[in-house]
Amino acid sequence: MYEPKPLFAERIAKLLPDREDREKFWEIVRKEPISSIRCNTLKISPEKLKEKLGKKGWKIEQPYENKEIMIIKSELLPGELGKAKEHLLGYYYVQEISSMLSILALNPKPGELILDLCASPGSKTTQASAVMENKGTIIANDRDMGRIAILSANLERCGCANVIVSRMDGVQLCERLKGKIEFDKILVDAPCSGEGNIRSNPKTLLMWNPKMIKVLSGIQKKLALSAFQLLKKGGEMIYSTCTHAPEENESVISFLLANFPAEIEKINLPIKTREGIIEWEDKKYNNKVKFTARIYPQDNNTEGFFLGKIRKK
Amino acid sequence: MTEFIKSKEKKEMQEKLNQQFGIKEIPFLLVKSGKEKLRAFSGSLSKDEISELANLARVENIGLYFAAIHEDGIRLSLDACHLLQNQISKNIIQLDDKQSLNWFKGNDLEFESKIKGFAILKHEDDIIGVGKASGNSIKNFLPKERRIKN
Repeated sequence: MYEPKPLFAERIAKLLPDREDREKFWEIVRKEPISSIRCNTLKISPEKLKEKLGKKGWKIEQPYENKEIMIIKSELLPGELGKAKEHLLGYYYVQEISSMLSILALNPKPGELILDLCASPGSKTTQASAVMENKGTIIANDRDMGRIAILSANLERCGCANVIVSRMDGVQLCERLKGKIEFDKILVDAPCSGEGNIRSNPKTLLMWNPKMIKVLSGIQKKLALSAFQLLKKGGEMIYSTCTHAPEENESVISFLLANFPAEIEKINLPIKTREGIIEWEDKKYNNKVKFTARIYPQDNNTEGFFLGKIRKK
Repeated sequence: MTEFIKSKEKKEMQEKLNQQFGIKEIPFLLVKSGKEKLRAFSGSLSKDEISELANLARVENIGLYFAAIHEDGIRLSLDACHLLQNQISKNIIQLDDKQSLNWFKGNDLEFESKIKGFAILKHEDDIIGVGKASGNSIKNFLPKERRIKN
């Protein structure tokens, strides 16, 4: 575990003013994340997958109403999750629980037209495709060839037949589609500073710097506003990141609420969430951003995450 | 330009797949991908809508890799087999644990069989790939990224 930079620790202290809560945060981010998978219901039912993995001696827990979410309680060898026959066949996707929340919140339906603007590596696209039972259409976009290759490989493995993959800068794609295609639902799982992923990627602590947050915040606002304009009236958008930085989270949602005919929706998720913050440093955000959801690792033994749900009026 | 399979070609393909594997219906839009490969799209966009999208965006893939067309038959992809598994009833070869492991390592199998040509390989109740049987061996077509790496 790397030591956090003083400014990062200071920011976390502002976000988590309660000392005990903060200590729990720093305690859990020093622990490896739990092993979780998502059953790919395009290929197998959760019951059958559990039975197959049980035969291998894996102890599986399904703590949520969404039975496709599975926690592996057994100690596995390094790489064992990825090498298992059931993984190679596309029966499950190795996915952190917090990463599954965006699609639970978006709730895509079979038949809908969905845009996943920053789709690679495909955890959320494959999840959406499964929820939609391969019906309706997902346009899954990412911007560089390497990321597209990973996305495509995961889509194939999971048997996702209702996805069209495009390779463009997200903002540019939205400009091209504006006025020509309208979506029922959009996911903007934006590139971010990754503060929520310290458990799985401790090097985030080394790479963290406040300038990067400022730059990312600008990019995220451009992505979110470009995508929002492609929603049909009444359409919904999930904006999510795996970071705690308010500049990358509430600030983006507040910006949308201030500039567009957007209303915020409360999100019901199967894990503990906390309200979005409405003040950060010298900034005051729209009061309604409290309806966004912050996920802290110490609350559910997950990684950190953020989600906001916006509807176009 | 996006090239879709015409209904006549699709019907011929269905007939071939019926002969090979007992598959009677292909519930997908089929799109050409290179000279001999096909992709399958189950989504709601029409051919015209897809073509319009392809003019606006840089479309890399439509749907999933479905099959390769060979002179001596159709080689379905593993994932197409999974999506059509309820229809597959012919030319199935059942492998034991050792053979299955060998298959996942990417090796051709020594296997005596009356089946000649493309066959669906199963281990327990799982379809684990499509091979080409020649009487005493099965050629392995499992993609590299789906193999067990040593």
